[in-house]
Amino acid sequence: MTVSPSAFIQGAGSLLAGLGVTIKAMFQPVVTSQYPHQLLSISPRFRGHIKLLASTDDPGKNGCIACGICAKNCPSGSINNIEGEKREGEKRKTATSYALDYTTCSQCGICVESCPSDCLAFSADFNAAGFKREDFHYDLVKEFEKRKKTS
Amino acid sequence: MVERIKTELGAALEGISIAEVNYRERGYHLSLEVAAGALLKVARFFDERGFYLSAIICVDYKEYLELVYIFSNHTSLCKVKVSLKIDPAKPVAPTISTIFDCAYWHEREIREFYGVLFDGHPNMTYLFLHDGIDSYPMRREKVPVSDEDKRALGSSRPGEGEDTFFVNLGPQHPSTHGVLRVVLKMDGEYVEEAEPVLGYLHRMHEKMAENRSYQQFLPNTARMDYLGPMAFNLGYVTAVERLCGIGVPDRANYVRVILTELNRLSSHLMWLGAYLADLGALTPFLFVFDDREQINDILEPVTGSRLTYCYFRFGGLYNDVDETFITGTKAFIARMRSRFVLYDKLVSGNVIFTNRTRGIGVISKERARKQAVSGPVLRGAGIAMDIRKMEPCAAYGELDFEIPVGTRGDALDMYHVRVREMENAVKIIEQALARLPEGPFMTEKVPKKLKPPKGDLYHTVETPRGELGIYIVSDESDKPYRMKWRVPSFSNLMIFPELAKGNMLADAVAILGSLDLVIPEIDR
Amino acid sequence: MEQIGNMIGWETVKMVIGLIGVLAFVVFNALILTWAERKVAGHMQRRIGPKEVGPYGLIQPIADALKLLGKEILTPRDVDKPLYCLAPMIIFVPVLVSFVVIPFSSSLLVMDINVGILVILAFSSLSVFSILMAGWGSNNKYALIGAIRSIAQNIAYEIPLLLSLLPIIMMTNSFSLKTIAEAQSGLWFIFYQPVAFLIYFIAGVAETNRTPFDLPEAESELVAGYHTEYSGMRFALFFLAEYTNIFIVSAIAVTFFLGGYQGPFLPGIVWFLLKSYFLVFVIMWLRWTFPRVRFDQLLNISWKALIPLSFINLLVTGGLLKL
Repeated sequence: MTVSPSAFIQGAGSLLAGLGVTIKAMFQPVVTSQYPHQLLSISPRFRGHIKLLASTDDPGKNGCIACGICAKNCPSGSINNIEGEKREGEKRKTATSYALDYTTCSQCGICVESCPSDCLAFSADFNAAGFKREDFHYDLVKEFEKRKKTS
Repeated sequence: MVERIKTELGAALEGISIAEVNYRERGYHLSLEVAAGALLKVARFFDERGFYLSAIICVDYKEYLELVYIFSNHTSLCKVKVSLKIDPAKPVAPTISTIFDCAYWHEREIREFYGVLFDGHPNMTYLFLHDGIDSYPMRREKVPVSDEDKRALGSSRPGEGEDTFFVNLGPQHPSTHGVLRVVLKMDGEYVEEAEPVLGYLHRMHEKMAENRSYQQFLPNTARMDYLGPMAFNLGYVTAVERLCGIGVPDRANYVRVILTELNRLSSHLMWLGAYLADLGALTPFLFVFDDREQINDILEPVTGSRLTYCYFRFGGLYNDVDETFITGTKAFIARMRSRFVLYDKLVSGNVIFTNRTRGIGVISKERARKQAVSGPVLRGAGIAMDIRKMEPCAAYGELDFEIPVGTRGDALDMYHVRVREMENAVKIIEQALARLPEGPFMTEKVPKKLKPPKGDLYHTVETPRGELGIYIVSDESDKPYRMKWRVPSFSNLMIFPELAKGNMLADAVAILGSLDLVIPEIDR
Repeated sequence: MEQIGNMIGWETVKMVIGLIGVLAFVVFNALILTWAERKVAGHMQRRIGPKEVGPYGLIQPIADALKLLGKEILTPRDVDKPLYCLAPMIIFVPVLVSFVVIPFSSSLLVMDINVGILVILAFSSLSVFSILMAGWGSNNKYALIGAIRSIAQNIAYEIPLLLSLLPIIMMTNSFSLKTIAEAQSGLWFIFYQPVAFLIYFIAGVAETNRTPFDLPEAESELVAGYHTEYSGMRFALFFLAEYTNIFIVSAIAVTFFLGGYQGPFLPGIVWFLLKSYFLVFVIMWLRWTFPRVRFDQLLNISWKALIPLSFINLLVTGGLLKL
């Protein structure tokens, strides 16, 4: 293998430069975050599953008017079974059931954009876990009621 | 150039009318319709003048099937659409794979999805689908596959030689390319033949496009190439905006450029890590992920996702960017420049790395043109063509960057081209950040239900892998009539069998890595 | 104790105790090295490595060992049973024999054979048999290709290994490792023979199939080379043998070039272990920095570069000794 001396020195030098990089990296601090012990901060625009927001005039009820635009626009058909009723003395309907199948959701945001009463938003739920598919079939109205109780 | 081609073409073919179309609306300059007999003549005409075949598309118009051939040029902007109408009851067309090698797989795909038989094609068997499909999937009505067709389609069986044996590279492969299976016919250490087998990740995105409205198809674009989804997003959004004539405010254009270049950087970094992991150095893979996580940490507060972004909308963006994005990106760029030095020391000069990649998988300019490779593979082979310069969309036309070109066309050149593209991406981001204008991020009046005018459009965009071509046929309804995605990895993979021939297995893996393939976009 | 010693023979007792010590050391060493490799790899890649199992992940190797012990001892159908089952056991023979002659300190030596280094080199050629048995007996073409590559590599690199040690043997006029270690009480031999040290080190790394010479085990191409079909405890034995080989290569380098157990203040064994583990660290450092060398380039390095160079070195040394 005829190798000129300068090429040999250059090659050996490149190997030593590589070694220098790794040994330097060994004594630098780690760049990983130790997840369960160190909690991550979730940015406000993070796209978890969607949630219902409270209506602007009455924070006690959810803002969904059961128009069904989100269900029609969803590309995956994840939103179903939107029902609402108009109670006594109120100007518009309020949703009583809203089924979201998170297993088919692709977090595109079309539902959030197209809602005419701006009552949908992304939640910050980044570590949802369950044992069966049904764990991810959410009823957003019930979730809203649960959040109302805990807040 | 367009005028010259028009006159020469008119002279070469008598009796065929060549229409000059509005390039802004259609994406191509000339359109002509030929009969089956004249197709080979036209193909040879374009071959002699140095054109390449960008895509072959089949559209089912119920009364007839239309085959659309798009010819493009590397040196100056000139696109020609040649269309051929076929009888749907007995669809037959001549093959042009003898003239343009890249037609080999395009025609196979059309064969299995539409049932069009190409005369003279050497291998009309399944490419994506499996044995025993009952009807041609992409036809508008259910057209059953005849038994004779089934037999013809499923008739590929590899032949064993005396001293050779078959090795399957994949589909579960430690070299992270995606689900690709390559059947290698080996003679000891040397590869005699390589046959990629596709379709493990086929999800029928093109059929989904026909059943969803333009807006509903947005999340699909990111799933096709999950390493460079911004570019796919950008291509789709600009294509539909071009079709409908929707304008985009300047701020949105600049933000689109910044995000697409960040994504290009992230994709090339991933390629770097995976390529070195193929070659055995496992440390750069982790360093690369450090940088990618920084990019994801910048993109997440803006787009909400870390991998499959669905951020661009028709007419602008989903929501605006804020100060933290700008400061974060500036800090990242400063850090990235020092990281390039690190990669240079660890990888570029390393004598083991250069010995593994120099002279491996050499692509000549002629083969690159015939096989219609694009992107860094094309530039590594020596042809300086970048769609960001040739057909700029968003704000690329106002920014200053260079196109790196290789000299030898081997794997080491591909590596250097991609590293310089990363440096250029940083340069572009810097310029765009400095010139980011204030203003709205979305155009005012965008109709909720988009109904583009009737017609077709072929729009191209430069993804990290090469030329992405989107062909949309609109019939004035809110769903596209046909949407074809001409993906760069499809053509880039086609050149692999001829490069791998006669090389050792380790070299075949190095060549496969240098082409930067992402299989989900091939399989769509 | 004295009576037992007089009955059986003091030498035999010493040898038995020594062998038990060697076995214990081999297991202990493998545990430490698996942990150290993962920690070194982690920190070079800016991450931590094992940390959950025990403080600093120290119990991790034991957890790994328990896992491997708990796996089903699977014998695939159609394998050549005798070859398949014997291969992992035979690969341990050269390892154990080599430990018998390595001087851990001036007194800790199982047996001071006067052809010490020849024993080690001769037995290390036996590992080639084991690889061939594993590759052929596995009835798997990937294993066979990996085995063939590994054998070609081992044979090619044994020659520079021996040739680079010959100058030292010439200088000390002895094959015994203890004598060679004693002879470095003045100046270490690495200053007399730097080229030989480099050649020996490169050849040693290639003998143990470590990156950059680990094409036979290339994960991204052939799954795992000659031990593809092994799982559970049999796989653990191959693994153990590889790590122990790394230690032996370093130990011989230390004995021949770096003064063995010689050193001020601290007891001999501490110096010996420090120097050996430092060389083991360098071998790991090489693994996590460099890509793989292609197979034909690998053989070229040995036949066309290392062997001529070591011949020249041998001639020069011989000439200088004569003068």
